[in-house]
Amino acid sequence: LTLAIERVDYIRVPARDIEEAKHFYGEILGLRQNPKSPADDWVEYEAANVTLAVMTPHTHDYEFTPLPPGTIALRVADVAAARAELEAAGVPVNDMWDSGVCHGAGFRDPSGNPILLHHRYAPYGRREDA
Amino acid sequence: VTGLAEAGIGAQRVDFIAVPTRDREQAARFYGETLGLQKNPNSTERWIEFETGNVTLALVTPEEIGKEFAPLPFGTIAIRVPDLDEAKARLRQAGVEFEGETWDSGVCNGAIFKDPDGNGLLLHHRYAPYRDGTQP
Repeated sequence: LTLAIERVDYIRVPARDIEEAKHFYGEILGLRQNPKSPADDWVEYEAANVTLAVMTPHTHDYEFTPLPPGTIALRVADVAAARAELEAAGVPVNDMWDSGVCHGAGFRDPSGNPILLHHRYAPYGRREDA
Repeated sequence: VTGLAEAGIGAQRVDFIAVPTRDREQAARFYGETLGLQKNPNSTERWIEFETGNVTLALVTPEEIGKEFAPLPFGTIAIRVPDLDEAKARLRQAGVEFEGETWDSGVCNGAIFKDPDGNGLLLHHRYAPYRDGTQP
């Protein structure tokens, strides 16, 4: 059985308030908005390898439920520096952890979706439970 | 790094999407065999990753670290397939149930389903070019 899966077209990121979410993903995280975003309640941001589709469930006939913890691991060059930038922008970020192969620090978008700042510093081949 | 704004936190890419499960073996069979995704050879017994072509899906087990399990909401991961009807038929043969009919937005088709843990997925195929004429 093969479906010939080609890629992930987008990850849906549910938002309670689209304007607040646009400010967060576009200005605070600094992701580029896809100019082909199809609608005012479905705004796509590009994270280089995958599209984040920020959208409002309540205008798509279902109820908002946040993403579970740490769903989106966003790679940054320096977790501590990115954490400091977010905190300076008024976004609380959890303490940074070190798994032995990578650094991580969690925060939430304005709708409560958990996002992980992530940076793997160790080469593969000695991956512990990262 | 292309496609990212200068402002912000310097996000470079999405390293993985965490897919929560209560049964790692069952989830690994689903993503590896039913969906047919390639398992990342750097996976370990307790950290299993699958590659989709552009982004990694990592199986996570929140209950093993004392956290509550909650599934990905409705339609979180849009999986691109070349032939949506065929992919849907094959998944149905494998016992996967779809929610409602395949929809047609005018530019793409989608079919909503869940993995064995209830994580919200969809098969997706955009058939129309973008407004500027480029293909998806």
